[in-house]
Amino acid sequence: MTYLIALLPLILVCATAVAVMLGIAWQRHHASTVLTAVVGLNLALLSLVAVHQVAPFETLLVAVDGLAIFGAVLVLVSTLACATLAHAYLEHYRGPREEFYLLLLCAAAGGLVLVSSRHMATLFFGLELLSMPLYGMLAYAFHERRSLEAGIKYLVLSAAATAFLLFGMALAYAQTGRLDLAGLTAGLGEGGGAWGLAGAGLILVGLGFKLSLVPFHLWTPDVYEGGPGPAATFLASASKVAVVIVLLRLVIESPAFAHVGVHQILAVLAFASMLIGNLLALTQANLKRLLGYSSIAHFGYLLVALVVAEGLAVETAAVYLVMYVVTTLGAFGVVTLVSSRDISGDAAALHHYRGLFWRRPYLTAVLTVALLSLAGIPFTAGFIGKFYIVALGVEAGRWWLVGGLIVGSAIGLYYYLRVMVTLYLVEPGMQRHDAPHDWGTRAGGVVVLGLAALVVLLGVYPTPIIEWAAALGVAHG
Amino acid sequence: MSFLLPLTFLLPLAGTLLLSLSRGRLGERASAAIGTASVGLSALATAALIAGYLEAPERQVVTLWTWVSVGDFQPTLGLALDGLSLTLLGVITGVGLLIHLFAAWYMRGESGITRFYAYMNLFVFSMVLLVLGDNLLLLFLGWEGVGLCSYLLIGYYYRTAANGWAAFKAFIVTRVGDVFLAIGLFLLFRELGTLNIAQLLERAPQLWAEGAPTVELAALLLLGGALGKSAQLPLHTWLADAMAGPTPVSALIHAATMVTAGVYLIARMHELFLLAPDVLLLTGVIGALTLLAAGFAALAQTDIKRVLAYSTMSQIGYMFLALGAGAFDAAIFHLMTHAFFKALLFLSAGAVIVSCHHEQDMRRLGGLWRKLPLAYAGFVVGGAALAALPLVTAGFYSKDEILWQALAAGHGGLLVAGLVGAFLTSIYTLRLIIKTFHGEAKSDNARHAEAGQGLAHGVPLIVLMVLSTFLGAWLTPPLAGVLPDPHEGSAGWHTALEIVASLVALGGLALAAWLFLRRRKWLAEQTSQGWGARLWRWWHHAWGFDTAYDRGLVRPYWRTVHALRSDRVDGLFGLVAIMVRMTHLGLSWTQTGKLRFYGLSMVGGATLVILVLALVR
Repeated sequence: MTYLIALLPLILVCATAVAVMLGIAWQRHHASTVLTAVVGLNLALLSLVAVHQVAPFETLLVAVDGLAIFGAVLVLVSTLACATLAHAYLEHYRGPREEFYLLLLCAAAGGLVLVSSRHMATLFFGLELLSMPLYGMLAYAFHERRSLEAGIKYLVLSAAATAFLLFGMALAYAQTGRLDLAGLTAGLGEGGGAWGLAGAGLILVGLGFKLSLVPFHLWTPDVYEGGPGPAATFLASASKVAVVIVLLRLVIESPAFAHVGVHQILAVLAFASMLIGNLLALTQANLKRLLGYSSIAHFGYLLVALVVAEGLAVETAAVYLVMYVVTTLGAFGVVTLVSSRDISGDAAALHHYRGLFWRRPYLTAVLTVALLSLAGIPFTAGFIGKFYIVALGVEAGRWWLVGGLIVGSAIGLYYYLRVMVTLYLVEPGMQRHDAPHDWGTRAGGVVVLGLAALVVLLGVYPTPIIEWAAALGVAHG
Repeated sequence: MSFLLPLTFLLPLAGTLLLSLSRGRLGERASAAIGTASVGLSALATAALIAGYLEAPERQVVTLWTWVSVGDFQPTLGLALDGLSLTLLGVITGVGLLIHLFAAWYMRGESGITRFYAYMNLFVFSMVLLVLGDNLLLLFLGWEGVGLCSYLLIGYYYRTAANGWAAFKAFIVTRVGDVFLAIGLFLLFRELGTLNIAQLLERAPQLWAEGAPTVELAALLLLGGALGKSAQLPLHTWLADAMAGPTPVSALIHAATMVTAGVYLIARMHELFLLAPDVLLLTGVIGALTLLAAGFAALAQTDIKRVLAYSTMSQIGYMFLALGAGAFDAAIFHLMTHAFFKALLFLSAGAVIVSCHHEQDMRRLGGLWRKLPLAYAGFVVGGAALAALPLVTAGFYSKDEILWQALAAGHGGLLVAGLVGAFLTSIYTLRLIIKTFHGEAKSDNARHAEAGQGLAHGVPLIVLMVLSTFLGAWLTPPLAGVLPDPHEGSAGWHTALEIVASLVALGGLALAAWLFLRRRKWLAEQTSQGWGARLWRWWHHAWGFDTAYDRGLVRPYWRTVHALRSDRVDGLFGLVAIMVRMTHLGLSWTQTGKLRFYGLSMVGGATLVILVLALVR
């Protein structure tokens, strides 16, 4: 029974996926498909309360502990937001619409597996279950050249990354003969040993690709730009959260990852990601690409917590993740809503947003709040997250990283403000690519408004998140 | 009861949000109703708090939550209610409500009334936060919030460039003070490790002896902030120009509440100031100088609102004088009565201005007392309180208390300055009333004055009139235990001083009546030629501070900016931007869009990782 309860979210999401598939086979109907998906995801979210009662719960393959529940909440909430946004987005799509939710649910199931994995098998399985549907989602508008390109690029590069990951696992196995995290920990001992260390490095490459850390970041803008809005949203939120959680688990538990060299690599990756991500975004004229570059930088910031990996590191990473997810969903949500009228060619070019305020004041307010939060302005969620990272870096004396963070933020402020200014410019006679007029009453509009409110609320009243993050229990194998 | 405390500022915040999210769809009446109702409900909550406090006068602290908590730095969102903050809270919401109500009449037919009420509510929100915050960070937040609202409301009629510049000036000059305040906060946090006011005041005497250099410096920095906000020498130049805003704004922000924030700050931090006797004395001296300088300037103004603005500076000078003499409760008492009668004067001035078709130059008014009886009554009652007419006015009791405390503390110089100031006050007050209401009407606008109608016009004036009489002085702020007890002295001396002060005030009135009623021609001659004219001009321009600052600070600044425009050093900083841009271009080159290149970069990265691991071992 405990098994069932502990895995209930996963079971529910998978069952919903099956239900959606059967529904499609029986009769296509967009609204009811969305409804099924949303209900299923909400039930999964609710079931986490029950899971909380039985946590921590461990088997050889999965560890359902505080961290896993935390990750599951973020994954499910992101997926819910994506499903709602997809509803608005696919409304005017001429091809088949319902399969998107099937893919979305499968990917969410992958994310759920990943956040609780404590075995190389579940790690691999979860990662692939997360990535495979994403290829389909990214190439969903397959008659559209860019969307197809995004799907293919992600497919090929992701396959390459998986190869590195598998090779890394094989090396670790060669050293220890074990694949579960506890066994790896015991087998590698202090320092890790040559093969184990090389394995850790290669696993890092594989996960670094998913997090689009420099120098594995090149795919990010192309894929973000080409993929349909909801797919890019999922890629930026749920997919990255799940991978960060798994990386966090590895860094905290596995001695191979505690090695000086690995820490130095992590530090270099963080530093490079912060600076290069921000620099690349500097004069970007496409909002989706810009958000892609900005996400590179943000995971650079987040990596500081993993580099330090002691004291408040888990709390910091968790707080930052929540703030990042809420903000990113808001920003991508607006982009998705603005481009939802016409799926051919997403309205992401910055000039589409000129003077948006004068046509869609609420939507612009949401985007403004999200951008302010990404820039880390006080009284937004982003500030709290960044504040924690800085405090952690200062406490641990990682001055280089803190310096990089500050320089990166300064550069970031430039391009976030550039976008904000564009939103408020008066531009007579430009009326293209608007959100539908009744967007505010629709589910998608409600979602982005709620997210914006949440960004401000968490900026002023972050206590619940901080307390939650501080109480995260990590099951030690 | 603890839920009432946050309500006092959450309600105005809700009003602001409602008004600003309405996208201009609300009409004039709806905007006024929402704006007034939110402050009204906040005033009701305050009334309940006052009732509760009078029953059980204890300091209440409500910590809502800790914002972030990292190491020693744990800023809380905590509210503290004691007699001092309760007094201020009552003034802000009570007087604020009356002014919001009056504004519904004053702003009729103006465009952007929703914007007006949204700013006004935001102001009340910030101001309440300022007085309720139990730590200096929250106080600073409110402090900056009121500064912002002041800027927005001074520049409310933004289509006239001069108003924009006035708003600029107010913002920049007060910002100078705010920088001092911010540095003061940094200093306090570094030295004492907290910004919580109660802890701060508890640790300060343990760490510092009286007159220690650090505590003097900290107090001096806080004083700098207070001077900017409260328009005292030498940071006073913005207040007269701030009259560009709508008159209810002048009444609320630039007379009753925001400009007294400096007085509140010093009273709140009085234990720190008591440790720094030199700075405390400086506070009193600055107050005395300001009250004299502003008093003379008020004599030579022609615009109704500017007379009132200088009078406000002068009255706040009295409060600073009281603070300097260690009479903190007298300062707060005067703050309260001043809020009543100055709000009354400003609202009456507003009534005159609207009735006379936006004419506010006294040289073109006159003869209005029959046509505008209510405004006239407001001016007479408010003016009497301002001039501290003995026994019947609120101003008498509070000003007398200040003078008496100055004497009892042995500050003879401050006492003399206070008495001279009282004399000046009587003169310019009567001059204002005579010029505006008596004599014959001097322009068509004045001849065709139409008296204001309606409850929104009448009720605030009448209520404030009642509060400006001795009835207002019965409202004793519950300051016992919060602020140090007043100095004791012999009752005989006190009575003697009361009589002297009364005689001074009455003497001033008599002189003014003689000058402005009997010797008008002679006066006009004297002020139009020779030394008289020069003096007039000097006072009219308030001792030429504006010119001096313009020549000494603003123009050199512009010149420096101009000179630096094509500067090499600037080029050096520009180099950073160019370098960033170059790097951006260089990096953009890596975004080829080619899959094979992306794959290559991954392999390269992986190789590097392995190499590093191999080398670090």
